[in-house]
Amino acid sequence: MRIEQHPILQFDRGEKVTFLFNGQPVEGYTSETIAAALHAAGIRELSHSPNLDRPRGLFCAIGNCSSCVMTVDGEPNVRICITKVRPGMIVQEQHGKGVVTP
Amino acid sequence: MKKGYDIVIIGGGIIGCSIAFELSKRGVKDILLVEKRFLTAGATGRCGAGIRQQWGAELNASIALESTHILEHLEEYTGYDKSIELHQGGYLLVAYTEKEWNQFQKNLEVQHKLGIESYGLTPQECLEKAPYLNLDGVYGGTFCQKDGHANPFHSTQAYAKGAMRQGVDIETFCEVTGFRTQGGAICGVETTKGYVETKMVINCANTYAPELAAMVGDEIPVYSERHQALVTEPVAPLIDCMVMSFSRSYYVQQTPHGSFVMGIGPKEEPSHNFHSSWQFLEQNCAIMCEALPILRKLNVIRQWAGQYDMSPDRHPVIDEAETCKNFYSVCGFSGHGFMVAPRIAILMANFLTGQKDSIDIHKFSKTRFKTGDILIEPSVV
Repeated sequence: MRIEQHPILQFDRGEKVTFLFNGQPVEGYTSETIAAALHAAGIRELSHSPNLDRPRGLFCAIGNCSSCVMTVDGEPNVRICITKVRPGMIVQEQHGKGVVTP
Repeated sequence: MKKGYDIVIIGGGIIGCSIAFELSKRGVKDILLVEKRFLTAGATGRCGAGIRQQWGAELNASIALESTHILEHLEEYTGYDKSIELHQGGYLLVAYTEKEWNQFQKNLEVQHKLGIESYGLTPQECLEKAPYLNLDGVYGGTFCQKDGHANPFHSTQAYAKGAMRQGVDIETFCEVTGFRTQGGAICGVETTKGYVETKMVINCANTYAPELAAMVGDEIPVYSERHQALVTEPVAPLIDCMVMSFSRSYYVQQTPHGSFVMGIGPKEEPSHNFHSSWQFLEQNCAIMCEALPILRKLNVIRQWAGQYDMSPDRHPVIDEAETCKNFYSVCGFSGHGFMVAPRIAILMANFLTGQKDSIDIHKFSKTRFKTGDILIEPSVV
């Protein structure tokens, strides 16, 4: 779901591209965040609580709360609400603590 | 809070709470512990919470060893229903120079004499203990598996709750404002919650201990030094042990939660400064990313500042005030009060109840600074 028409705001969504979310192709715009693309695609469960693995959705949407962290191109704990979409990027859900690789 | 107590302990950190516990365990019932803010509000709650037996001075090493033995089963010892989160992942002490390496060899001799299971490592073996360690300039290291860390909040609560069950009263948000003496002995404590009669005061106020002692005319050569630490985001386990260097003055450790807690030794003037600084953030990250380059990938969540109560020889000062009988000060732990608290509390409680102890408490007397009989500790950050 996206707001297409707004009385005072104009949207520059950039280029329409495809990236992978959990192995599945998802469409997004390069001027929007990963979170926006996933939201538009109907994906609302973003991260999981560390101990009980309960789903967490979008909460602050400004990069403060870590409720939306995912692994992006191998980098763990990326806040997708402030990370723009890039074509062909690989986004994966995280369960438990993110794994850092050298 | 009653009108009078046999003993008033000042300070709600691990030292005050453990002494309250050990005294009440020995049947001393009439004890009040007063704390200016809340339990662990001072140095205990801000500390790195490491537990290390790899000391250079025999006295520090033996106290740390015996304290570790107690911390290994503190829950059972104090009747605590939660875990103190003790994790014995070991300490890797890294030597970057030949001089430091030679000092470590001397330290190992001291530790082996006491039965501490520490041993030397080649740079390659250091890498096995701490993956991703930058070996540039590493001369060698020493390791002890029994070292580790515990949760300082839970550890203090374990002692405090145990003490309360044994009849100790704890009064928080109660600041000591003065003392009353009679015939050269303590007879009462003025607090923000009123006056309390007492026969004895045990001053465990960490960096504020010298100021409190000065109120009864006693002088303690302990000063306050700001140390800062920071914590990163939690990630999956990377390094099991604490990594520490004295020459490069850093320590870093991954907690069971997954976050890294780290800090560097400052070069600062004595102060009661509790503010954190951007200079620390910058310097700390530069030093840490040099030592463990993988840490570059982590976000810093938070940083904070606390105080070390530094004594001139990095050993605690435990003494009665010369000017006031029954006024005892227990301070000057120089940044390792948490890890030695269990044994220091036993020592203090044994002394006050007239029981025998294998350690001579008078070694910690502040007269050592006058007689020159000081206890040198070569290994501190």
